Amino acid sequence: MKNNKKPIIIGAVILVALIAVFAVVYSLNKPATSAGSKQITIEVTGSDGLTEDYTLSTDAEYLRQAMDELAAGTEFSYEGTDSEYGLMVETVNNEKADYVTDGAYWALYVNGEYGQYGADSQPVANGDTYTWTYEKAQ
Amino acid sequence: MKRLSKDYSTTKKRFSILDIAQIGIMVAVIEVSKFALSGLPNVELTSFWLIMFTLYFGWRIVAVVPVFILIEGAFYGMHLWWIMYLYSWPLLVLIAWLFRKNTSAILWAVISGFFGLCFGALCSIPYFVIGFSTGGFAAGIRAAVTWWITGIPWDFVHCAGNFVIMLVLYKPISQAMKWAIRSNLNSN
Repeated sequence: MKNNKKPIIIGAVILVALIAVFAVVYSLNKPATSAGSKQITIEVTGSDGLTEDYTLSTDAEYLRQAMDELAAGTEFSYEGTDSEYGLMVETVNNEKADYVTDGAYWALYVNGEYGQYGADSQPVANGDTYTWTYEKAQ
Repeated sequence: MKRLSKDYSTTKKRFSILDIAQIGIMVAVIEVSKFALSGLPNVELTSFWLIMFTLYFGWRIVAVVPVFILIEGAFYGMHLWWIMYLYSWPLLVLIAWLFRKNTSAILWAVISGFFGLCFGALCSIPYFVIGFSTGGFAAGIRAAVTWWITGIPWDFVHCAGNFVIMLVLYKPISQAMKWAIRSNLNSN
């Protein structure tokens, strides 16, 4: 295999082909967004079980943008860190969920169902309710 | 370009103090590099170093990988990502060992890029297990595929980062490692 060009060419072709396949898979399956004005509800259920809800009219396509708009206009707040798989929300309304200390995390529910995406890839749809819930791992 | 790892990796039968020191330095290099690049999501030197250490320090990598994984777990907590580390990095070492006779920087860049591209798919396996345990095979597949697809843009970043890093650093680091190994052999 010593610097024979054949494996290099084969490897490069496979890599490029795989990138193309991944790109097609992603473009066919990425979360669909909708443009225009939407009326949504964002709820926050803290560790005490109490829920605060906020309604928002927004043009945001993804939840993170809507949360930023909400944070700019109300007492709602959130903090998190960007990771390779998107925003990891750690603090909502000044309550921090520390997974390392006690297994706590902020779970995202969409219309009552456990969310499939993080805040920055969750599409915003008119009439939807997004609930951040403080939970602890079992 | 001849590699010295074969001679170097077979001169010792058991761990010597030098081996232990080298293993410690290799782990330290990986950890420091990882921390230094932690602000750039999915741009990492871990893949690069694991490949290079496999090529030039032979069997010692068998100790480097578990020590690295244990330190990561001790620092950041042994959560789901840690399970992914348990098989992803050993797999990369195995791939590097299988291709150990290759001395082409381009082919190593392709291999490293390939690993970066597939890292998300590899890491989706625990999500399959979680989904499978709660809702059966279909739920497992759905959980793993959803998680993998969400991260594909970052897999592209990982692929590009690994490719470029290997392409740029392979030759100079190879030279440095050969020099270090030769110096060590001469001093013994």
